[in-house]
Amino acid sequence: MNQYWKYFLMLGCLGALVGIGFVSGPFVLYLATRIMILCIFALGYNLLLGRTGLLSFGHAAFFAIGAYGLAITSIHISAHPLLGILIGVTAAALLSLCIGFFCVRHTEIYFAMLTLAFGMMVFALIWNLRSITGGDDGLYGISRTAISLGIVNIPIRKDYQFYYFVLLFFVASVFLIHRIYSSPFGLALAGIRENHIRAEFAGLSVKAYRLGVFTVSGAFAGLAGSLSALLESNVAPFSAHWSHSAEPVLVSLIGGLQTFSGPLVGSIVFVALREVLQRFTYNWMFWFGVLLLAIIIGFRGGIVGSISDAFRKYSRP
Amino acid sequence: MDQHETTRRDFLKAGLVTAAATALGSGIVKPVGLWAATPNIKGPIKIGYLTVLSGTLAGYGEFHKMGALMGVEEINAAGGIAGNKVELEIRDSTLAAPACIQNARYFVDSWGADFLAGVDSSGQALALAPVVGELDRVLMVTHAATEKLTEDEVFKKGIKQVFRICTPTYQDGNAAAFVAKDLPVNTWATINPKYEYGYTTWNMFKDTLGKLKPGVKFTAESWAPFGTTDFRPHINTIMDAKPEGLYSVVWAGELITLVKQAKQAGLFDKIKHVMFPVGAAMDVLEGLGPEMPDNIWISGRYFFLYPDSDRNKEFVARFHKRWNHYPAYVSETAYSTMYAFKKAVEAAGSKETGKVVDALAGMELDSPAGHRVFRKEDHQAMYEVPWGLTKADPKYPFKIMGKQIVIPAKEFFNRPPFEGPGTHPPFKDSK
Repeated sequence: MNQYWKYFLMLGCLGALVGIGFVSGPFVLYLATRIMILCIFALGYNLLLGRTGLLSFGHAAFFAIGAYGLAITSIHISAHPLLGILIGVTAAALLSLCIGFFCVRHTEIYFAMLTLAFGMMVFALIWNLRSITGGDDGLYGISRTAISLGIVNIPIRKDYQFYYFVLLFFVASVFLIHRIYSSPFGLALAGIRENHIRAEFAGLSVKAYRLGVFTVSGAFAGLAGSLSALLESNVAPFSAHWSHSAEPVLVSLIGGLQTFSGPLVGSIVFVALREVLQRFTYNWMFWFGVLLLAIIIGFRGGIVGSISDAFRKYSRP
Repeated sequence: MDQHETTRRDFLKAGLVTAAATALGSGIVKPVGLWAATPNIKGPIKIGYLTVLSGTLAGYGEFHKMGALMGVEEINAAGGIAGNKVELEIRDSTLAAPACIQNARYFVDSWGADFLAGVDSSGQALALAPVVGELDRVLMVTHAATEKLTEDEVFKKGIKQVFRICTPTYQDGNAAAFVAKDLPVNTWATINPKYEYGYTTWNMFKDTLGKLKPGVKFTAESWAPFGTTDFRPHINTIMDAKPEGLYSVVWAGELITLVKQAKQAGLFDKIKHVMFPVGAAMDVLEGLGPEMPDNIWISGRYFFLYPDSDRNKEFVARFHKRWNHYPAYVSETAYSTMYAFKKAVEAAGSKETGKVVDALAGMELDSPAGHRVFRKEDHQAMYEVPWGLTKADPKYPFKIMGKQIVIPAKEFFNRPPFEGPGTHPPFKDSK
């Protein structure tokens, strides 16, 4: 029964997402695309924060490397979007492997500060390497050329075409991250989060696991970055700034750290709330902050976490 | 047991996502007005305005808002644009490109804007240009100054929807060099912002001054990152180099800090010739008040005491009455933008983008800042803003421009095609 419901709802979600592409106006499509990209970023990030219990403040750097990787490829080598994404994701994964190597030997505040420092190093590099990155102007005018697959060309220029392009990556990412989440690897991560000393005694190489998940989440951040460069047609250095690293943290907190789908719900709330608030007040930043606080304090365990808690209590009197 | 819990939780999560997705879909789709282009002008003319209303530079946004609102109020009171009411909506676009792009898309795709205006940072302007090309709406830039916007995006890449009503970096770099060539200064130094705006203006100043006055030397550079609060190391670097002149495009709150700290260090006693290309901004003049030293060269994108015309005097008087402030340069550019749209729409007899673009290109506009012409090739407004020396005036609680020098726009604006000989000042045809 439960299994049926689950598949039914998943199909429903997918149907709704596909439907949005058919019926929505361009602005809703744009927002929905943004939400999906933020979902990919936050889902990957939550593997590290929610599953492994490591708080990173440097993931914006991987997002930015993904974006700049795509932008530089598209401007200098080939505008093929898949090649750009491949290079962006690879660069992000390699960078997160390198940075992760130095960071995962620490935990808690030391880990957070180290990732913050490395992240800001990347930001400073991007800001100062003007001939490559365009300095604070960033790189702009990245075009969404058609994906050429030998004999067929798939255009992604129009909003709805690009929406489906991102939807494809979104579904694939959700599937992949869900697999990682519930794989033995993912369970080991949860074990490390609960008690890393016990995990070590059980014979797990804690550092290797942490480095593994750091790299995986960095790669997803890179994917989100590449897609966002295609969406916005530009990249700016502030995408590597630590304040951008706070985005997936907030999104995960809103939705629920310990849940798989928390970041999904969090992303929707994060983007939609800001957009709605801006329609009512210039002072949206203040109200955004107040509402985020209310959600984070009011819903313990995030929106998804607290609702499923309530549901569990209700169904088991 | 564990298995059960997971599935039930998953079920809920999935449900939430669907609910949220549908709510989002239907909730935001509804208010979208179907905007269909009609041959005649119909309905209100909607203008979406993008500016920074949060953070340390929120004051700039307020000045944009005052100018834009006053322009719209006046136009509506006088019957609107071709008999149609003007509607203005302003959105906080921060200084980040994604926020600016999202707001522009909201204005056009959801709110149904006919025109876009504003934009503060150069990075935002460059990122937004291809987007407005795709959205196919006219964008009038009122603050961002990068010359790349008009030279590359409009002229070279042909994004014809983009116009700029304010002076670009030519005013800060080239015009400053024309003023500097007549000063008894042979060595120049700079404390400039450590980003594109700082690099570009200093290079422009060096290039042009080097050609105007061969033999002049540029002896020291100190680059201050965005958000610098302590300029003392930079001031010391410059004072150690003992230049005769200092050039700095540091702006807004940072310029206020720089001037205060330079005064403490005695910089203005040692270096007699100081140029602040954006020193005539009202926030700086009002912020420093009597602390601004005398005899500093300042300029901006508009100064409220220039030109000495009735149009300008009336504008300043009305503005002061309405807001109890003197108009900042962004107030004037925002205000004049509304009149530029009015004139273009009425000339084109349509609010269709293509027709308005044709009307705007080459259009002349009488505005408080003087006579503007939107250059056909790159859509840059040509007009003059004076350079002047600060002095006290009992009528104002802040320093104003005393002695003023006006350099004709055609002498110092780079010329199309922007590459090769004869495109950068000095030009042979102007003495």
